[in-house]
Amino acid sequence: MTISRRTTALAVLAVTSVLSVAACGGGGTTTGSGNGSATGSAAAGQKGGTVYWLTKRPAEHLDPQRTYIGRDLANENRLFYRDLVSFPVGKTGEEATKPVADLATDTGTSSEGGKVWKFTLKDGVKWQDGKDITCEDLKYGLSRGFATDVITGGPNYQLGYLDVPQKDGLPVYNGPYKKTGQADFDKAVACEGKTITYHFNKPWADFPLAIASLRSFAPYRADQDKGDQSNYAIFSSGPYQLQGTWQKGKGGTFVRNPNYDPKTDQTGRMALPDKIVITEGLTNEIINQRLIADSGDDKYAVTDRKIPGSMYSQIDSNPTVKSRSTLVNAPFVDYLLPNFNSDVMKNPKVRDALKLATDKTAYITASGGDKYGVPAKSIVNPDIVGYKDNAAFTGPDAGDTAAAKAMLQSAGVTLPVKIKYTYSGGTPESDNAAAALKQGWDKAGFSTTLDPLTDTYYDVIQNPNTKSDVYWGGWGADWPSAATVTAPLFDSRVNGVGTNPKSNGQDYGNYKSDAVNSLFDQAAKAADVQSAATVYAQADDQLGKDVAYIPLTVEKFYFLHGSGITGYAQSAATSGYPDLGSIGVKK
Amino acid sequence: MFAYVVRRIFVGVIMLFVMSLVTYLLFFAAPSDPARYTCGKNCSPELIEQNRKALGYDKPVLVQYGEFVKGVFVGREFPDDPELKKSAPETIASCPAPCLGYSPLQSATVTSLIAEAAPISISLAFMAFLMWMVFGISGGIIAALYKGRFADRALVGSALVVYSFPTFFIGLSLYIFVAIKWQLTPIPVYTPISEGGVGAWLSGLFLPSLTLALIYIAGYIRLTRAFVLESMGEDYIRTARAKGLPQRQIMGKHTMRAALTPIATVAGLDLGALLAGAIITETVFNYNGLGKLAVQAATTYDLPTTVGIVLVAAAFIITANIIVDVLYAVIDPRVKYS
Amino acid sequence: MSRWASADPASSGALLSVRDLKVTFPTEDGLVKAVDGLTFDLRAGETIGIVGESGSGKSVTSQAIMGLHRGTRAMVEGQIVFDGRDLIKIVDEDLRRMRGRDIAMIFQDPLSALHPYYTVGNQIVEAYRVHNDVTKAAARTHVIEMLDRVGIPNPQKRVDQYPHEFSGGMRQRAMIAMALVNSPRLIIADEPTTALDVTVQAQILNLLVDLQKEFGSAIIIITHDLGVVAELADSIMVMFAGKAVEGGEAEEIFYEAMHPYTWGLLQSMPRIDSEKKERLVPIAGNPPSLINPPPGCAFHPRCAFRDDARLGCSSVIPEFDISTEHPARCLIPEGERRAISQAKTKTRTA
Repeated sequence: MTISRRTTALAVLAVTSVLSVAACGGGGTTTGSGNGSATGSAAAGQKGGTVYWLTKRPAEHLDPQRTYIGRDLANENRLFYRDLVSFPVGKTGEEATKPVADLATDTGTSSEGGKVWKFTLKDGVKWQDGKDITCEDLKYGLSRGFATDVITGGPNYQLGYLDVPQKDGLPVYNGPYKKTGQADFDKAVACEGKTITYHFNKPWADFPLAIASLRSFAPYRADQDKGDQSNYAIFSSGPYQLQGTWQKGKGGTFVRNPNYDPKTDQTGRMALPDKIVITEGLTNEIINQRLIADSGDDKYAVTDRKIPGSMYSQIDSNPTVKSRSTLVNAPFVDYLLPNFNSDVMKNPKVRDALKLATDKTAYITASGGDKYGVPAKSIVNPDIVGYKDNAAFTGPDAGDTAAAKAMLQSAGVTLPVKIKYTYSGGTPESDNAAAALKQGWDKAGFSTTLDPLTDTYYDVIQNPNTKSDVYWGGWGADWPSAATVTAPLFDSRVNGVGTNPKSNGQDYGNYKSDAVNSLFDQAAKAADVQSAATVYAQADDQLGKDVAYIPLTVEKFYFLHGSGITGYAQSAATSGYPDLGSIGVKK
Repeated sequence: MFAYVVRRIFVGVIMLFVMSLVTYLLFFAAPSDPARYTCGKNCSPELIEQNRKALGYDKPVLVQYGEFVKGVFVGREFPDDPELKKSAPETIASCPAPCLGYSPLQSATVTSLIAEAAPISISLAFMAFLMWMVFGISGGIIAALYKGRFADRALVGSALVVYSFPTFFIGLSLYIFVAIKWQLTPIPVYTPISEGGVGAWLSGLFLPSLTLALIYIAGYIRLTRAFVLESMGEDYIRTARAKGLPQRQIMGKHTMRAALTPIATVAGLDLGALLAGAIITETVFNYNGLGKLAVQAATTYDLPTTVGIVLVAAAFIITANIIVDVLYAVIDPRVKYS
Repeated sequence: MSRWASADPASSGALLSVRDLKVTFPTEDGLVKAVDGLTFDLRAGETIGIVGESGSGKSVTSQAIMGLHRGTRAMVEGQIVFDGRDLIKIVDEDLRRMRGRDIAMIFQDPLSALHPYYTVGNQIVEAYRVHNDVTKAAARTHVIEMLDRVGIPNPQKRVDQYPHEFSGGMRQRAMIAMALVNSPRLIIADEPTTALDVTVQAQILNLLVDLQKEFGSAIIIITHDLGVVAELADSIMVMFAGKAVEGGEAEEIFYEAMHPYTWGLLQSMPRIDSEKKERLVPIAGNPPSLINPPPGCAFHPRCAFRDDARLGCSSVIPEFDISTEHPARCLIPEGERRAISQAKTKTRTA
């Protein structure tokens, strides 16, 4: 399965830059004591009140090991699932995605070239019932991810990285419920007092980034575990705890966790509101109309739902409302993939011509304009550690028809070159965007047939025998490293290109390059994030030269929030969603 | 009559089984693989295979159906994994009879999902029913009495306009204008009587049931008007006038009795269908009733929930049919069942 | 009887005097003159038969007398003087009080004329109580007596049954009981036997005769079948296209009919008492348009005796002279008609 906001249920955690941080509140206030502050003043950063989070899509899982949605991963971290390391609250730029110690005393130490990692738990970190968080809890949490038949839906990097032997494609250890192969797991993850040691079968330089981004490595209390039935049971280690039960499709209310000690927390979680109410199942129109009206409790509301295009003019015409809107990079990049199994696309000059003829500007305009996204210069999100524009894609955003035509004429093919473009369609925006691309290509000498798929998308293009020449794709990274972008998308060995007759995994264009594969190997062996990033950048260069993909746009989040909100921030640390670590309400 | 009702119930139960079987067969005839939806994005074929087995989707369809039927009578446990039952009994969800299955996507038994959603749909349906019966029928009677005059044209005309709008549009407009922009009502939120009392329950129901009722009011104005006019032209109304009965008695007793009898039938069936959930209204107003649950289940390939809702919906409709037929025998002396 | 009707209803001494009655229905195509200038008298305790084919205006006449056109778009003009009061002019409420009490009606199809959802007893009790301030129980006793009187066996049980549980004949008896429950002075029977089979028809007609003697009511019996009124009526009025074409005492109409249309009706009348297989002769042609009636005599397009050149049948409108005892609306000289009539009567009764 892959990631698309348009088709699959599994969206992604990703990284974004903070383009907009609301003027009021935020940043540097203390993460002080649990006592309420003075009342009456409208100053930012006050404790007390209730924040409302309005959203549409219900959380599928609130079990840390099963969560895989960027919004939910971020909120869990800010409210109730602390991790060994977390992204800091109130930082911008690269600082936002630099893990800081949370439950652990530091950001971890690695040895054996990144194959062994060690963390030590702080003193005084407690669960909501007052019991200490122990190394065994950390180990138990991680072990749950191996019970892949019970703890379904979450990320499964632990299966590939932890040094547990495999049999028939699955680890011999099958989790804490059946305990088969427990000894093998105990060897890979060891507890010694408050210190936990992870043994990997290969170097994992950006392991702390994965911890901070996902919740796979969060501690879990064995005595609270009821397997699948614990899906919405929240046992908090953070500043808030669930009041009553979580009702799927409706939401839940979070109140302060009396056993949370802010003195143990240096991530900057401010824990301002007394209460946080999450309401699910509202439509985008309703959420944004309520935020425009800004009345009653909606003054204290935030959302993770984009403003619908039909409401842009309503916001532009009202300066007060506009001042409450924010436009930041979303975690998603849209791109095109030439199909390397197609005869015409095997010709590098045709791919080059396609790249030159692609009009990103028209694509963005048709999709909703600058509120939808900005032209992308690489498939990698600009805010991923070590990002560089890909030189192959820095040409004019509107394309270069003349150069494209010249390239096509020199390619030794008869014009017009007939191509078929398959995309995830069915909405006016997606169909208009496809038509905009077709127009650019046809001007340069292609003759494009549009092939919108409205039902299942990735399931279809995943079949290597699908006869199409160009595919649409969308992707966001699992943590802010190119390791979760180019490698999973273009490593032909991982995706089974040429070896698996039924599926190309996520390498939908059936791209296969030994040179790129060996660069991925080299990057994976790197002992630190920066040096890995350099190698990933080389791999991206090669992908650009081969025109393995054509980047289209970095998507945007265009959100509204209520006038009574303080400390509003959408940081890269929270995948571009509102950061509940700093948000409070005016009194 | 008693024998007739027993026979109807028996046939209804058989229909329920046939429908559940058909739903099973249709589900497995669909091209999508339900096991795919259980596993994260970098999901290996081995993991999918393992989950397929854990969910029981690897067994033949008829075996799965047999287990489902068995669960209805004796209950089941999920997951049905002897090894897990022994090593970690706390992870096993028990689903006592009548068990309609367990939804791995919702982490709950279908019975409990339906039990949570049904009161919402039922509240909504009954409230809308009340509104549309009161306003639809009185509107229809007024239109019939003033046939061809302004009141008639205004009522029939506006009914036609309302009827031609999609529910989605009506619901969204009411929500945005009445609740958000003009703030004439609070933001509609479903509050059970047990939590907020009758007042909160009613105020939460107002806008969504109005949305639902508006479409029906429009239909019932036209329906009632037609039935009343038809009845007014009947010979027995002429007889009633010839007897010297006052107009009030002719309308109230003779015309209405004849006109409202067929409306009672239609209304009973409409209500029965609505009890199983109003998909669009529930979605617009974020009411987690059976309609919303059904959409969610259908779009996420949640077989157990889909089957459960199909059965509940069918049961509502079958029951409504039986009740309407029995009611008809009570209100129309010409109808007799044997 | 010396003349068909007097010019002044007040001096007629009749229970019911209809003068120049016109009933007009506006339609999209124009005004439909369903009844166009009808005049007749009916004395207390006597019976008049109004005979004509469908569309001739006979049922409209009866409904006009009951005032059933009130509240519709129909326009009713002329005079309907009942017991000294003009029913066209009196207020709705007064008319309503008279309906069912002074003037009652028996309808053609008792199955549709009775309400299917109420018991027969309920409907008759209702008819009684609306005009009599009595308890339900008293009304019920009275109704059971009435049912018994009209020949319904086991009336205690039948009173609680629904119309669909009655046979056709029994239903019509119940209908008659309903009409007679208030001992009205005038009963209008609109095709009372048309929906019944022949043997039942005779029973019902006999019942009506008996009841009339007992209650002393006047009866207007409306029918398309001259045979029905043969035994019953004191006088007969034949209608065609909304107008009376012939009127007179029953004997005269049967044996000295003076209008070609009446001859046709007599010829098309089946005879129960006849042994011979006779050929029934239907009247050729269709009823004329009531919006644009034919010029001259409205019957002339269908008349076998028309003589345009001599009589001007298509231009001259014949008169209905109410000052005569036996008026007939025909241009053929009376002597010629008498001769034809005698010849026809001879053949018929031979």
